[in-house]
Order: sequence, then structure tokens, then C-alpha cells
Amino acid sequence: MIEALNLHRQYGDFVAVHGMTFSVQEGEILGILGPNGAGKTTTLRMLTGFLPPSEGRVTLDGEDLFHGSKPAAVRRNIGYLPENVALYPEMRVEEYLTYRARLEELPRGIARQSIAETLQSCLLGSVRRQLIGTLSKGYRQRVGLAAAILHRPRVLVLDEPTVGLDPKQIIAIRELIRELGRRSTLILSTHILPEVELLCDRVLIIDRGTLIDQGTPADLRRRWMAGREVRVVLEGAAPDAESALTQVPGVSSVRPSPAVAGGWVVECEDGTDPRADIFRQVVARGWVLVELAEQQASLEEVFVRLTTQDRAVGEVLTEGEA
Amino acid sequence: MNGILATFRRELHGYFVSPMAYVVLAAFLLINGWVFTLILGELSGPQGPPLGSPMQLLFSNVFLYLLIFPGVCIVITMRLLSAERRSGTIEVLMTSPITELQVVLGKYCAALAFYTFLWVPTLLYAVILQSYDAVDWGPVAAGYLGLLGIGAFFLAVGTFASSLTRSQIVAAVTALAAYFFLLLLPTLMEPSVIDPGGRAVLEHLNLWNHLSEMSRGIVDTRHLVYYLTGTVFFLFLSARVLAANKWR
Repeated sequence: MIEALNLHRQYGDFVAVHGMTFSVQEGEILGILGPNGAGKTTTLRMLTGFLPPSEGRVTLDGEDLFHGSKPAAVRRNIGYLPENVALYPEMRVEEYLTYRARLEELPRGIARQSIAETLQSCLLGSVRRQLIGTLSKGYRQRVGLAAAILHRPRVLVLDEPTVGLDPKQIIAIRELIRELGRRSTLILSTHILPEVELLCDRVLIIDRGTLIDQGTPADLRRRWMAGREVRVVLEGAAPDAESALTQVPGVSSVRPSPAVAGGWVVECEDGTDPRADIFRQVVARGWVLVELAEQQASLEEVFVRLTTQDRAVGEVLTEGEA
Repeated sequence: MNGILATFRRELHGYFVSPMAYVVLAAFLLINGWVFTLILGELSGPQGPPLGSPMQLLFSNVFLYLLIFPGVCIVITMRLLSAERRSGTIEVLMTSPITELQVVLGKYCAALAFYTFLWVPTLLYAVILQSYDAVDWGPVAAGYLGLLGIGAFFLAVGTFASSLTRSQIVAAVTALAAYFFLLLLPTLMEPSVIDPGGRAVLEHLNLWNHLSEMSRGIVDTRHLVYYLTGTVFFLFLSARVLAANKWR
């Protein structure tokens, strides 16, 4: 439904986004992942019609967002929560939502109904008469979100929706986002990886203004973390464990796990699952097996590998996880 | 249209929930009241030739030009667009189905409404005068028309200054420079222009003359056209600046 074609964006001499092409399908939840300064916000601003790309174009259902015949009308399909949720501190929550409904040109009756529903779904009922300036960051984020969904946009764009919130608020916002994801197409940017794994159907990984890779979280894991890893923990000291485990068919290498005493990280050859054989080997030797588990490579590791030039850093992090 | 109305209402609401509106209103009435008493004192004094009616003097005194017009118009307009850019709320406006021109018009109309509101209490002066002597309401109405015209023009200039920057202070100083340019340049240039055509142009651009003429009941449509074109020009320019800001 949204097509971004060869997007470039420059600020003076600085190139923030460079040759990005991707599309967003109706109904999916798309995550845009990248370190700080990678160009996430710039990309999203181009998708919302706020920032015209220096080159390339964005279309929504074939209508150009900037050079089309009615760009303002196309924007009606989009709801946007900017990174720094900017509100008018002197307005009350309900007043602000009324104002936003008027900006979106909602008919009065529909606006009233929509505001009531949104106040409820965003859990803002208790503060509806409160001045926005007196609200906590979490509430303000929710007011921003409420304002973005008032007009039932087909596409909802959220720029780092959970940044700066405390853990409880993060959970609440995530639940809300998941709920919204059922109703509309959702594009969200973040640098928090578990969030992406939790929420997104598909992920774009960007770094220094370019698109490095895209796919489902599982795809990315498979593509970038070759071979699975199995963690084996044995009770007591087993001096020749390393050589014994290496002999198991399908095992490519064995190294001690830094996290647990008596633990080993077994790297497997592609397409094999040597867990049963490892178990038999351990039993045959008379050792006691405390733990035998497949280690899921987290998206975090994929991300670090993709966006870190220095491989050593990536490996340190991977070890730390183990 | 709805978009204009939405920004208009929000902006007007913004004026009246901030202390600014009340401070401006109080200062405005204080200065005008003081000037009005000065005028009455001067007129009831013993000296010779008549200076004009009290309302006429109120509409064409030096305080009006050097203090009230610049001061009030700057305070009303300086944050109009610059504050939106600084706080980031501009992002919401620009991603709503509303055009730059609608944003500018909505905000400008709110500024103009507030400006008009400031002048309403001064009608009391005329009512007070009426109780002593018959007031000729024609020239009074013409005077108010002039105030509205020049105000509309200056507010448009201020709106434009506010669109140029994120900083209210920079907007205020820019507007101040523009006002003095508009108010004083024709007078300052007059001695150096010999060509009669040029002098006539300067004469028409000289805002000082406009109000004293109007408050005597002479409504020159050329003046009104001057304010109107100036207003339209600067509002259009503001909308273009808002649109252009996206590209930087």
C-alpha cells in the first residue's frame, strides 16, 4: 500500500537517507530498526508527508505524498506520533483532542464519539480534564497516540513510541500498539530490539542512511546467524568433556560457556540437530546432564553484526549473552 | 475552511489562557487612557488654535505609532509560528490534511481578532465624550477603520517575521525593524526626493498621514488598498516560508 522508491534526503551537505526502497503491505506491522542517527526519524517523516525527499518518491495507494494532485487529502490516511511528542501545555486533554479532530475535519458527531472511544482505549479517561502541561511523560505519550488515531487512519506511523517511559508504561504502550496493529497498518521505529521481536511482522534494518536488510525477525535470524547453538551444562567437573562433545556427529565446535561453570556452547553444522546424540554421549560417559537447550540467536545479535563494523564487539556481545 | 477554523480557535484560546493577553490588554488600556487624559488636558487648556477633536487626536498621536502599533503587533504575532516550530507542534500541523496557507490564515485571523478585541474598550472614551458634547460618529468610525487597516497590515508583517525563525525574540526584532522601516522611511526620505511623482508615492506610503486623514473622516480607498495588498502579500509569503522550511 505504501511504496518508497529510492528515497534520498540531504540536510545541507549531510546525507541522512541514501537510496532507500521498500514497500509496506496493508495490515502489516513494520519495524524500522537502526542505531541512533541511522536515519529512522528522517525516513518516517518522509513517509508521513512532513519532509519531502530530496530525491525519490513516496506513494500511498499510488498517490504521491508530495507531488500528487491533493497531498493534503492523502495525508488524511496517515496518523503520526512524532518522536518528541509535541503538545500544547496550556490545553486540556479533551480540548486538544477536539482540536485535532477539527484539524482532521471530522464531522462533529463522529468526532465526539471518536474522542470518547479513544480516551477510553488509551486509558486517558481519568485525565481528560487535566492540563497537558501537568501530565507525566507516559500520559503525554498516550495523548499523542490518542491524537494520532482519532481519525482512524489506515496507516499509523509511530516514531520511537516507548522511548523515555518507565517499564510499566512501556508495557502499557506496547499492549496498546499491538491492539492498534490489528486495526491498521503500522510502521514503527525503535532502537529497542525486543520490541521489534515482540511486535513486528517484518523489519527493516537501517544504518547510516541505507537499508541493510529486511525480512521477518525469524528470516533475519536465520540469514545472519549460521548454524544453531546448543548449550550443555554438566554437573561437576568433566575433564574431557570438550573432546567427547566434539566427537558427536553434527557438532562443528565446542567452547566453554563463560556464563555457567561446567557449561559448554556447542556449535552445530547447518541443518543438524545433535541434541539426542549429545544426550546419549553424556549418558554413556556417566556424567549428569543438568541442562541441554537450543540457544535462539536474538535479533540483537543479528543487529549488532549488521551494524557494527568491528566484528570483535559483536562477538563480545554474543558471548555475554551465552 | 474547517482547518482554518480549527487553528483559529486554538490560537485564540491560546491567547486567553496565557497571562500574556491580560498583560497586553492592561498595558494597552493604561497607555491609551493616559494619552486620552493628556489630550483632554491639552484641549481644556487656555491656548489658541483648535487641534482637533479628542478622538481624532487619539487616532493620530505619536504614542500610537511608536508604542502601541509596534508593541502590540509584535507581542501578538511573535510566537504565532515560531513557537510551533520550536516546540515541534508544527509537525502535527504539517502532517494534518491542512495546507500551509490554512495554518497561516487561521493563526492570523486569531491575531487580528485579538487586536480588534483590544480596541473595543476604547469605544468608552467616545461614549464618555458624548455625555459632554455631541460626538461626530462618522470620523470616529473612519478612524477605527484606519486602525483596523494598519493593524491588519502590521499583524501580517509580524506573522511573516514569526515564520522566519524558531526564536520569538528574533521574530520580535525582525518585526520591529520592519515596522520602523514602514513607519519612518517615507518621512526620512521625503527631503531627498525632488521628483514630484516620487513625492506623491511617498505621501501615499506615509502611514502617519493616513490616520490623521481618516480620523477627520476622509476615507481614501488607496490607503485601504495599500493595507490590503500588504496584508495579502505578507500572509502569502508566510505560507511560502512554511512550505520552504520543509526543504531545509
